[in-house]
Order: sequence, then structure tokens, then C-alpha cells
Amino acid sequence: MNLYQPHLVRIEAITDETADTRTLKLGFLDPDVASTFDFRAGQFGEYSVFGAGECTFCIASSPTRKGSIECTFKSVGKATNAMRGLNEGDTMGFRGPYGNHFPLDRMEDSDVVFIAGGIGLAPVRCVIWNTLDLRDRFRDVTIIYGARSVSDLVYARELEEWGARPDVRLWRTVDPGGESADWKHEIGFVPAIVEKAAPKADRAYAVVCGPPIMIKYTLPVLERLGFPPERIFTTLENRMKCGCGKCGRCNIGPVYVCKDGPVFTAAELAGLPGEY
Amino acid sequence: MMTTKSISRDGLASLVADLVGGGTEVIAPSRAPDGEVEYRRVLRFDEIVWSDEMPRSSLKEFFLPPSEPLFSWRQTRSDVTIEPVPTRFGPRVVLGARPCDVAGVAAVDAVMGWDYRDELWFGRREATTLVSSACGGVDGSCFCRMVGLSPESEKGADLVLFPGDGGHLAKAVTEKGESFLSAHAARFGETTDEAKPVADANAGLGGGVAPADPAAIRAWLSEHFEDPMWESIALRCHGCGACAAVCPSCHCFDIVDEPEGLLEGTRRRNWDTCQTARFTVHASGHNPRADQSARFRQRVMHKFSIYPAKFGEVLCTGCGRCARACPAGMDLPEIVSKIAALAAEAVR
Amino acid sequence: MQELRDLASRLLGDGTVGVVVGYEEGPRGVRPAFVTDAADADRLVFDRRCVQNLAVYLSPRRGHLARLGKKAVVVKGCDARAVAGLLREKQIARQDVVVLGVRCGGVLRHESGNGEALTAQTVADRCSGCDCREPRLADHVVGDLPPSPPVSTRRADRMEEIERMSPQERWDRWQRELQRCVRCHACREVCPMCFCERCVADKTVPSWIESSPHGRGNLAWHLTRALHQAGRCCDCGECERACPANIPLGLLNRKLAQVVEERFGYRVTDDPAVPAPIGRYEPNDAQEFIL
Repeated sequence: MNLYQPHLVRIEAITDETADTRTLKLGFLDPDVASTFDFRAGQFGEYSVFGAGECTFCIASSPTRKGSIECTFKSVGKATNAMRGLNEGDTMGFRGPYGNHFPLDRMEDSDVVFIAGGIGLAPVRCVIWNTLDLRDRFRDVTIIYGARSVSDLVYARELEEWGARPDVRLWRTVDPGGESADWKHEIGFVPAIVEKAAPKADRAYAVVCGPPIMIKYTLPVLERLGFPPERIFTTLENRMKCGCGKCGRCNIGPVYVCKDGPVFTAAELAGLPGEY
Repeated sequence: MMTTKSISRDGLASLVADLVGGGTEVIAPSRAPDGEVEYRRVLRFDEIVWSDEMPRSSLKEFFLPPSEPLFSWRQTRSDVTIEPVPTRFGPRVVLGARPCDVAGVAAVDAVMGWDYRDELWFGRREATTLVSSACGGVDGSCFCRMVGLSPESEKGADLVLFPGDGGHLAKAVTEKGESFLSAHAARFGETTDEAKPVADANAGLGGGVAPADPAAIRAWLSEHFEDPMWESIALRCHGCGACAAVCPSCHCFDIVDEPEGLLEGTRRRNWDTCQTARFTVHASGHNPRADQSARFRQRVMHKFSIYPAKFGEVLCTGCGRCARACPAGMDLPEIVSKIAALAAEAVR
Repeated sequence: MQELRDLASRLLGDGTVGVVVGYEEGPRGVRPAFVTDAADADRLVFDRRCVQNLAVYLSPRRGHLARLGKKAVVVKGCDARAVAGLLREKQIARQDVVVLGVRCGGVLRHESGNGEALTAQTVADRCSGCDCREPRLADHVVGDLPPSPPVSTRRADRMEEIERMSPQERWDRWQRELQRCVRCHACREVCPMCFCERCVADKTVPSWIESSPHGRGNLAWHLTRALHQAGRCCDCGECERACPANIPLGLLNRKLAQVVEERFGYRVTDDPAVPAPIGRYEPNDAQEFIL
């Protein structure tokens, strides 16, 4: 057994979120691993399709829910397309958890604002469920989520669940022109909806994930609302291979996304050189 | 207090015979069929080259092979079984290595042990005793002194050989070195001679007589990520990666799956380099280091700023192979001197 | 080489070009130089140590050089073959480059600073029998015409040695040579004719050529590259010089060049108007190998 040898996992369930995005529910084959596996919200893993290679995704399920893990991915390259070709019951590999995590204990007794765009909801979904499963430790929970169009929204079932909860304030939006005939929610880019929602910054944390352009326009809105950059979290991606700080690939200046990240504060981000 | 013993030339020859006869693999600088010196497995003492000729490649390949299997898999319908690879290796002795090369091995230890332990690297490390030879200096491309080492550096060695007492002196540096002396006590003798450097400290071989200030260089690098110097300095660089291939401390790797047919295959780890365009390219096509200036900057940063920030010392050991191997005349000692000068100016 | 310096200074000074790609003195011998300022033209040198082929810097893959503006490039006759190759294969346009030819009497195999004398032992393999000491594809030609380079049979001897071997012996020999290859791809990166934006070896879907530096992968890579260079390789020797493992890559390329000459009567020259055999079909081309 060496560091690079993955655990075997079996695909227990497949959910097609959108035309090109899929969620897999994975169970560890080794019962010892299944009962002891633990992680913190924000950490990622290396998911293997034997023969095609490994992909890096956050663990999209919450650590409060034991027994299996989930990942959500878009098919863009060799390994993700091979992953899409797998069926329920097929075996994959998993290495992890790697990386740092959202400091949930620091966020207790505060408001939490989750802002996500498109598939960016995947890393956030983990920490949303983690928060909701420990609901009484946090104050107001706001979720602001949008995508280009209705068909690009992921986790449809969960959005309904979150929207139905009285202890969550959910804002759903699509880009102008992306609405369907029966769309009942917001229309507008995510940063504009954040502005509209105007979450209070006092004793509040923000978790922001999405396409770079969404983050670029959301951070100033949060700044105007009074969120200090130390209380805004986001996740970064970079090309990875080992996931554990050895292959030398994922650094942004002095910071290794696989070790010092993938979770960063906006303050840390501002200090990074422009090579991501 | 670490022991120093003496050993005659005949003693060394017998030692090699003992090791080989006893099943220990001996790796030493030796002449390849094409006439070049390289580190290779030797079976006899007379195959070893004891001069200051620089082996063309470093010791890296003996601890991180250019390609090594991480595990194999076999698939039947929906099930997969994994065949692990060994993490324990047969005993080896590296004999007569250059100090810059053993220092390179030690430098990579820090990365391979950073929070997660790389069993393949350490398996080979534990099986190997590193015996270096104090160096007299190779040529004008050496710059070990500039990076804080020296031609007689003991960093990374278990045992260092110095000339003395009519043959060699063997100075133990680590417990493993001490054990080696005890295990082969019959070949070694007592000595009152002191191990002395071979290279003339004032001769300038090794890149000057004093180290460049690593803290000042690191500070300059961390503050000058966007300096226009990076644009001009890498114009001639081909991004060919020859420098990384011959470097004792470059250790970046790729992980690939190699199917053999539809049902089985091997996942391998292969040498890779930040100098190639594809090193950091995302599946989307986005490349954070889109041109050679960015990629060359990464190499310098990793050696002199990023690794030191995490592990306290520079990653470069000053062997000079990058400068010798580069087809385009990129000269790391020249660049480091230039940065040291800029850093000194900045302080003033 | 004052004539070259003056020319470079003039071309930069009057804005004809944004950069002169030539040779300069470096800490370890001559090396490529990028002169953008007319006042710096004195950095330029030319002597028997100038073995590098600067035509590679014209390749469209060198994105970060494009911002320097129009290039003038110093070429020897052999380097001009590379310029011709890039023109022939439409990678650059003739008006986008100013070719500064230098009359050459041969170069050393290495660019080392000692500048030893040019002898049969020290001369680069390609120089023997050189027929292009005066570059023909050039906008300007400078320098005095030196005598012909010393003749070396080194390469011919090495090729003959392999020709005398049986197929099995050749296989074993190349397996042994290629064992040292670590797939750094320096051979590709220094080659002016390896200008593919996406090299076949980098393709992953499917993985035509295994990227691992093992026997199988290395053979696949080197044979593929040699085949892709057949009828295109300009024999500048850069691949062999750049290889950090000292693999005699030039022999593979030379062998295929011989085959192309025997089969198609074609040799790579510095005339971009003559199309390469890869790029054209003649009705009387040999076809007996097509089953």
C-alpha cells in the first residue's frame, strides 16, 4: 500500500444534474474504511477511473452524513468523460481527503451567506449541508444561487428542500434570458441578486464559489455590504496530480492549492500572484 | 562525535567486492558505453571513476525513477482488484557521489515527507547508504558555494570520503554511516588524520568564495513576481526541460494510467517539468502559466523562494548541470548572481 | 563581426525590425541573443562556436517573442534550411522575417567557451561537405567566406556501423540508447520543424504515444518523431546537442533523410519553393511498398 494507491469505491447512485453535470454517490468497498472515513467540509479527493486517470473534485457531500461520499463533475476531458461512461455498480478509486477546509467552528454563532454560480454550488453544497445538519450552531443562513439558465441549475431536489425550510433564506436566479416560462424566482446575474438580498455583514461569513467572472463581480458587492475580506471564503482549482504537495504542479506563487487550499479567504487571494 | 576511519585503495576495492558479493547493489560514477561518466550500477571496483568528472545526470533516478509503477489494476465486469507494488527495496550503497548530488537527495526528502509520507521514495532512501567524495571542483559551471553548500559539504551524506592517510579517510555523518563503518570494520583502519577539504576555498570554483544571501534573494523574489526582468531573461529559453532532467533536486512528476488492453493496466508516476507548456494547463484549456517567461520564473521561484519558504533552505545545490545541459545558454548561476545584486541594491 | 553589428544596428535604428536574433557571448560560450536596441548591437558575435540554430525562434509556438515585433535572424547556411522549412510549410510569411546570412566555414560541435580549433574531431557532423557556406536564402549576407570545414567521417562511420548490423542487433542497440531517455522532449523543443501547437505525443484522447519513459514509450516517441521529420529535418543537429542523455538522435534523422533521398530523389534545401515529398504526390513516385 502506498500513498498513491486509491481506496476502491462503488457507484451507488447516479444523478444527472444537467446535460453535462452528474453527481455520483460512492461507497467504500472496504468496511473498515467505510466506517472510519472522515473529512471536513471543503476538502477534496482524487477520483480514479482505472484506465483513464484521476480527477480532482471536492467532496460534495457533508461530513455529517456517513457511509458514502458524493462528487459532482462536468465532463471536460479524458478522465471526466470516462467517468461519465460508468454505471451504477461500477468500481472507481478514491484518494483523500486532501487539502484544508472551511473553518466551520469559527463560523458558529454567526450568520452564513452561501453564494454560488453554476457548478460552483458543488463545493458549497458540502458546507451547506454541514451547516444545516448542525443548524442550531449558526444564526441566519442565506443561500444565493444562480446559473446561466434553468437547465444549468444543479441539485434541483436540494434547492427545493432548502427553499422549503423556514430556517433558510434561499434566493434562486438565472441570467436574463435564461428563465423558462414557469420560472417563479429571480432573474439577474448572481452579483446583482446578492446586492438585492443585501445580507447583513455584521457577524457574518460569506462562502463564494463559481466561475471566475462571477467571483470577480461578487466580491466588490460583499465589500460594499461591509464584509471584510477575512470573512469571505472561496475555493480555488488548479491542475493537480498527486493532491498532496509532492508533484509540484498546483502552486500559485508560494501557495500550494492542494495543501494551503483549496479553501482561501478573499484576503489571502488578494495576496496571491496572478498565476491562476 | 562521529567517527573518522581510514581506508586504503585496496581496502576500498575489497569493500566493493564484499558489498557486491553480499548482494548489495553498488552505484558509483562509471563510464557508460558512449564514454560519458554517469552514476550506474557497478560490479567491480575498477569500473568506478574517481576523478572530478561530473556524472551527466544526478542521483535522482535511483530514488525517483524516471518512470515507476504506483500499482496495477485488473478489472472484471464491475469489480476491480489492485496489485500493490513493493515499498521495501534491496540494500544499496552509492559510492563516490558528488556532494551536490547527495545534498539534492536530502533536499527532496522534505517534500516527500511533507505531511504525507511517500513510501516509495523513503523505501529506497532507507535501503540506501550514501557515501560521497569531497570534491575538488568540476568546472566554471559549479556554484555550490553560492547556494550555501561547498565542495566538501556533508549534507545528505551518510559517510564522506576525503583524501588522507595514504588513501582515503571515511568520515561518518549519520548513524547509518556509523553502522556502515562498524559493519565493514575489517576494511577500515584507525587514523589520526583529519578530513580536510580538497577544493581550494579561494579558487572560486563553486561560484565564488561566499554564499549569496538566501534571505535577501528570497525577499526580492517574493516582492518581484511581476518584475520586467522575467520577460527579458527567458527569451532564449526553449522550455525544453533538459535542466529539470539533469537536476538533483527537481522532482516534479506526472501520474498516468497505462492500460494494457481493456481489463488491466498500471498507474505510473513519470518525471515531469514545470518548463513544459502543458504542465499547468487545465482541462478547459486555460493555462495559468501561458508563456515561457512565466514558466522560467516558476523554476527560479521554486528553487529560491517557494521551497525555502516552506522548508527553510534553497532547493538548488549548485551542481551546475542545468547550465551545462541548457542548449540555449540559460545560466542559473548568472541569474542568481544578478538577483543577489538586485536584492542588495534594494536593501541599500 | 563589425559588418553584422552595423547591419543590426541599422535595421533596429530605422525600425525595419523590432529585434535581431543573433549570438552573444555568455558565461559558458556563445548563446542566442535578442537585441532590441540599436545601441546594443555590439553584443552580437559570430565565430566557429555559433552552433545553435536560431531559426527555431521564428516558430509560431514562441508566443512570448511575438511582442518584440518583426524579427531579423542571423543564420548560417544550414540554419537557412530551417527558415526555408518554416516558409515552405506556411508557418511564417517571407515578409515577416529579415534573414541575415553569415558566411560560415563550419562550427564546433559544442558552444563551449574555450573555442578550440576546428578540426575533424571537433567539427559538427553536418559541416562535412557543406555546400551552403554562403547562405542563399538571405536578405543580407555578411562576413568573409572562410575555407571549407574540415572533413569528418565520424557520422558516416557511426551510420555504417549500424548499417552492418542485423535487424536484431540494431533493435538491441537502439533499445539500449533509448533507455536513457527520460522524455524531457528537449529534442522537440529545440527543433524548428517541430512547430505543432499540439504534438501527437501530448494527445491523451486517445493516448497514441505513451508518455512514460520506458522502452515501449521511448521507442514510440522517437520513431514517431523521426518519421514526422522525414523529408523535413534540416540537419541542424540541435536535437542531438540538446539531449541531456547524449542519445545520438541525429543518426535516426539522417537515416530517414537517406531513405527519402533514395525513394523520392529529395533533399531538404534552403529553397522554400521546392515542396517537400510529404506535401506532394508525383505520378511516378515509388509505390511497391503499398500493398
